[in-house]
Amino acid sequence: MTELLSNSAAETEQIGERLAKTLHGAEVIALFGGLGMGKTAFTRGLARGLGVTDGVSSPTFALVNEYHGAVPVYHFDMYRVQSWDDLYSTGFFDYLDNGVLVIEWSENIEGALPDDAIRVTIRRGAHDEQRIFQIEGAEL
Amino acid sequence: MTVLAMDTSAKAASVCLAEEDKIIGEFFINTGLTHSQTLMPMAEQLCKNAGVPLDNIDAVAVNAGPGSFTGVRIGVAAAKGLAFAHDLPCVAVSTLESMAYNMLGCDGVVCALMDARCGQVYNALFRVTGNRIERLCDDRAIALSELQKELQGCTERVVFVGDGAAISFKSAADLPACVRLAPMNKVNQTAASVALAAFERLKAGDTCTPAELMPVYLRLPQAQRELNKRMGVRP
Repeated sequence: MTELLSNSAAETEQIGERLAKTLHGAEVIALFGGLGMGKTAFTRGLARGLGVTDGVSSPTFALVNEYHGAVPVYHFDMYRVQSWDDLYSTGFFDYLDNGVLVIEWSENIEGALPDDAIRVTIRRGAHDEQRIFQIEGAEL
Repeated sequence: MTVLAMDTSAKAASVCLAEEDKIIGEFFINTGLTHSQTLMPMAEQLCKNAGVPLDNIDAVAVNAGPGSFTGVRIGVAAAKGLAFAHDLPCVAVSTLESMAYNMLGCDGVVCALMDARCGQVYNALFRVTGNRIERLCDDRAIALSELQKELQGCTERVVFVGDGAAISFKSAADLPACVRLAPMNKVNQTAASVALAAFERLKAGDTCTPAELMPVYLRLPQAQRELNKRMGVRP
């Protein structure tokens, strides 16, 4: 397990970019952490690290955004997913193994995460701008 | 009677043109989930190469589920569109039932399997006797461990077929020796088998209009498994 500190959105993006460099192209990155923790900033950095030049934004309404980089990146927001049927109808299971999946609000689908998912837990640090990143399942 | 059959229920996609006593042509591609790009060009090319215009087709058959959420929707939508435009009847085939037709002539039990993830499979059992298929249970979603229990003590020849066959065969521990995995050229669901299953339905008059054709989804029996571990949200 790796623990990293971020003091700004820019630093959060850098952590995402660092994680991207360790990926092969078919991983599941499960993000845990509530509103304002920097999940989208982290994903922006991660996508950039995978060669994505499209704009990254939270797919709160679309449920999933697709970005085209060196590998496909599928950016999920599970905030509104309440049941197995909901999850199935996002196409989640069809995306697995076909690219890098980044999942915001993984809390809601924890039971469906693959065993080898990379788990990124974000907590508030010592001050308002600081975040503690706990990364399990990848070596940074 | 000529049928255009399609399968996009999992990773592979295929289309087939068939008459009752002849497979006219088949196009199968297994390169990942790009059915929305590959299916219609395959159907178009197949009809063109076979010299069979869509106007000469009598019915459109499709694996209507169970299967991948996106895959089943693409197949059903394509079948609806083609059938609607040419005023043709549709035949909804169970994906699992179509798999049994892969093993025609190989007497024994066919255990049709699709990977439903999280240790679950979509499954049905069929007995094959010559060219006859007898269904032994309804299409169901079941934990692989449950299916494994059912197969314990069985002595009849059982063949695993379907896109979930190989992974199930590998992950299920202690399968009886009479259980085998179908060979590579018979293991995947194919449009040719959809066509064969469809002819049986057509004989029985079991067709529907394009508007009535719908995807068939099976509920996953994950009641024992919470999706949101903290909130305890159940299916």
